[in-house]
Amino acid sequence: MLICESYHVPKTLEEALRLWAEAPDGSRLVSGATDILPWAREGRAGDVEIPALIDVTKIPELKGYSCDKGRIRLGAATVYQDFLTDRTLMTNLPCMPYCAIWFADDQIREQATVVGNLVNASPVADGTPPVVALNGEIELTRLEDGAVRRRSVPVADFIEGPGRTLIQPGEIATAVTVDSAYGYGGSFQKVGQRRSLVISVACCAALVRADSTGTVFEDVRLALGGVGPRPIRLRDAERRLKGERITQELIQRVAESAADSVGSRSRKEYRRDVVVNFVRAGLEEALANQPEIGAKFKNFGETENA
Amino acid sequence: MPKIDLTMDVNGRKVVKQSEPHKRLLDFLREDLNLTGTKEGCGAGECGTCSVFVDGKLVKSCLMPAAKADGAKIETIEGLARPGSLTPVQQAFHKTGASQCGYCIPGMVMAATSALRENPDAGIEEIKERLGGNICRCTGYTKIFEAVEIARDVIAGRLPETALDEDATGESFIGANVRRLDAPSKVSGRLKYAADMKMVDMLQMQVLRAPMPHARIVSIDTSEAEAMEGVACVITSADVPGTDGFGVFVHDQPVMARGKVRHFGEAVAAVAAEDLITARRALAKIKVEYEELPGVYAPEDALVDGAPVIHDYAQDNVIKHIPIRKGDIAKGFAEADLILEDEFRTQQVEHAYLEPEAGIAYVDHDDVVTVLSPSQNITHHRHMLAEILALPINKVRFIMSPVGGGFGGKEDMIYQGMLALAAMKTHRPVQLNFTREESLVASAKRHPSRVRYKMGLKWSGEITAIEFDMLSDGGAYGMSSEGVMRKAAILSCGPYEVHNLKVDTKVVYTNNTPSGAFRTFGGMQAQFATESMMDMAAEALDMDPFELRRINMMRIGSRTHTQQELTTASLDRVLDAAEEASRWEAGAPKVRGPRRNDLGGPDTRKPCTLGARIGEPTDTQTKDERVAS
Repeated sequence: MLICESYHVPKTLEEALRLWAEAPDGSRLVSGATDILPWAREGRAGDVEIPALIDVTKIPELKGYSCDKGRIRLGAATVYQDFLTDRTLMTNLPCMPYCAIWFADDQIREQATVVGNLVNASPVADGTPPVVALNGEIELTRLEDGAVRRRSVPVADFIEGPGRTLIQPGEIATAVTVDSAYGYGGSFQKVGQRRSLVISVACCAALVRADSTGTVFEDVRLALGGVGPRPIRLRDAERRLKGERITQELIQRVAESAADSVGSRSRKEYRRDVVVNFVRAGLEEALANQPEIGAKFKNFGETENA
Repeated sequence: MPKIDLTMDVNGRKVVKQSEPHKRLLDFLREDLNLTGTKEGCGAGECGTCSVFVDGKLVKSCLMPAAKADGAKIETIEGLARPGSLTPVQQAFHKTGASQCGYCIPGMVMAATSALRENPDAGIEEIKERLGGNICRCTGYTKIFEAVEIARDVIAGRLPETALDEDATGESFIGANVRRLDAPSKVSGRLKYAADMKMVDMLQMQVLRAPMPHARIVSIDTSEAEAMEGVACVITSADVPGTDGFGVFVHDQPVMARGKVRHFGEAVAAVAAEDLITARRALAKIKVEYEELPGVYAPEDALVDGAPVIHDYAQDNVIKHIPIRKGDIAKGFAEADLILEDEFRTQQVEHAYLEPEAGIAYVDHDDVVTVLSPSQNITHHRHMLAEILALPINKVRFIMSPVGGGFGGKEDMIYQGMLALAAMKTHRPVQLNFTREESLVASAKRHPSRVRYKMGLKWSGEITAIEFDMLSDGGAYGMSSEGVMRKAAILSCGPYEVHNLKVDTKVVYTNNTPSGAFRTFGGMQAQFATESMMDMAAEALDMDPFELRRINMMRIGSRTHTQQELTTASLDRVLDAAEEASRWEAGAPKVRGPRRNDLGGPDTRKPCTLGARIGEPTDTQTKDERVAS
């Protein structure tokens, strides 16, 4: 069980940063709390006694989202359920609803935050691949000489390995800023030990926009999770698709080349098979999910999904 | 530990309480407010029994610090309907029989209520999706989904309110949909399971468990734990006054490890303290010195000469061997046109009832040691405990609390003895609530089995002989193993008349988690082998699998494997009904090729898909627009 000596609920970001900077070693920030409580149980960390929990959920600046210059800034309090209920987020971040629906369950999605998921830096975090595909940048905030200072780091660089990030002592992740992908089709592929309420063994986020005729890939974004210590953006695959005619053969060829991106040490062959199928299925589904343009290419829809 | 002030609106009433900073919302509701309709099934966000509304959103209260809900509006199962009444969702659960053991039901009712609040027109796929965070082990979910659909239609006015009433029964109750008498107490969260009960001055127990599977206990030093403030007592096997040993057949299991531990997670010592945290901290102060022993982890290894001996009384590690002989198998196999041989293995399975083990013990005013727990076998437990405590039977009493799912897993007296000892030592009520992890590690499992099978058949399909040899992993203690082997032997060759058979079922000790009772009690493992063999025989004989079964089925006048003459038999009708209901495509297995037309019909379950709600926005306030670029 998790035992804490004190529980703080700062009302402003400044107060939170001050508490966090001064917190005794071992103290933890709490936002969704959906991982820290199961963590402090038998089989993981067991009983954990920590000096302080600092709850950042009552800070107004971390709530909600804002849009500017084709980018969307998601406050750290943004929860996964928002991607299934907020129309603006659903249409501008079209891979996120598919990610969210496979993420835990309705109850947990009401609590679990995207930013918390990123800071946790699990190699199998569902939220990482779609955020990386959306060119996400995480905002890290700290107090410096009494003033609030912010810096931004691309999420692809921020996560260094399992549980390891570039966050520094005293810093709080306050937001993640992502591209608006309005008009794109989105998809999220995931496989775990079972279908429901499960942690990924591997996952793939895809975003696709075809040209107005629906025959050429105008833009493609692909990212993988669960196949290495860090999230993987498939830049090479994206380059090979962009500007090309949409054909089943091209998709299959590019999908097969993605297998080499698997860096996991365990179940490597299995993951290679999964990645090939996920890239193909992700591209096909994203093409089909485009809101305005129907993709036109031969054989589409005849292949089976992974 | 400094207290914190919490203010919430709980079920429409303002609540101001001092609580501890570490408490989860679940603890605050159950312990501080006595709202025990909200259950703890796993404590890790997996099962959904703790679901409550916080500011209108359904959350799992085991994943929310209570302080995070400070200032919020909380709605629990107790607050859904006025006292004495039930909401349409609760009434529908009552009507369809959706509540069986009832332990998941408050959470299910909350999830169903949330689903219909979020989308009053939710279709069945969306309903399933929105109930996806809640686990039920009794119903198979069908009756729950049926209830939510009825409630949805009544709330929307598509069905009359009378649709929630009990169906009329005609002259007979047989075939009629009769409501369960205990359902209202379950759908409203009012039924008190053992973990929901509180007694004045009650202590909390926690158990120190073995960190290795096979070891001699060199010493146990409890002095530091006993000296702690708030600790009322520490118990070990040295506190047992009578003959220490329990088990459904052989009394080979001590209340707590005595001299050695035989499986990982076996109870070694227990602490009763003023509160849970003190009890847990005291566990860390108990010093146990172990001398690790070589272990046995596969049943085959247990039978090898020189294998480590797990119980002194059973030098060969055999718990039980049940042989059945009928006819002459040498003659039977000689008559066969075809002999098939194969091996079948099944794995260990956890019951995973939603209610983890829990119990309370106290010594009453007449010195009667009383144990309240969801025991599936209280009379037997009472007799065993009297021996263990060296008390006359009239000084030991068992009360069966509502069983939040058992499936055989609560037949073994794995914790009631510890509770009784602590109550006797302190003369205070003592409660022990298992965590889910503890339940998984300490409770009995379904027997893993290996069956070596040899079946002789004539070209006509008639079985001429069967040799059936089962070896089961009994784990560290005997528990129900003997009965499970007996049942496996009796049912071994299935409902088929076999004139020549040789059946052996054997269960052995290993250092794995003990195996015990689990639905079908050995029948499943045997039938998996027999029915697989029948299908493989049908393939080899180029015969319809139903036909092969009809040729061999037991009829009136048949003699069972144990030589009982049957005066009634119904397999013919069972096969007819199954063939029709499955829209069976008649013919030998190979006539179908890769596709069969009897799969994927309207009443078959489709693979899980998610996303029924995507594309149907629930938020109609914001427009579908591109953000500024």
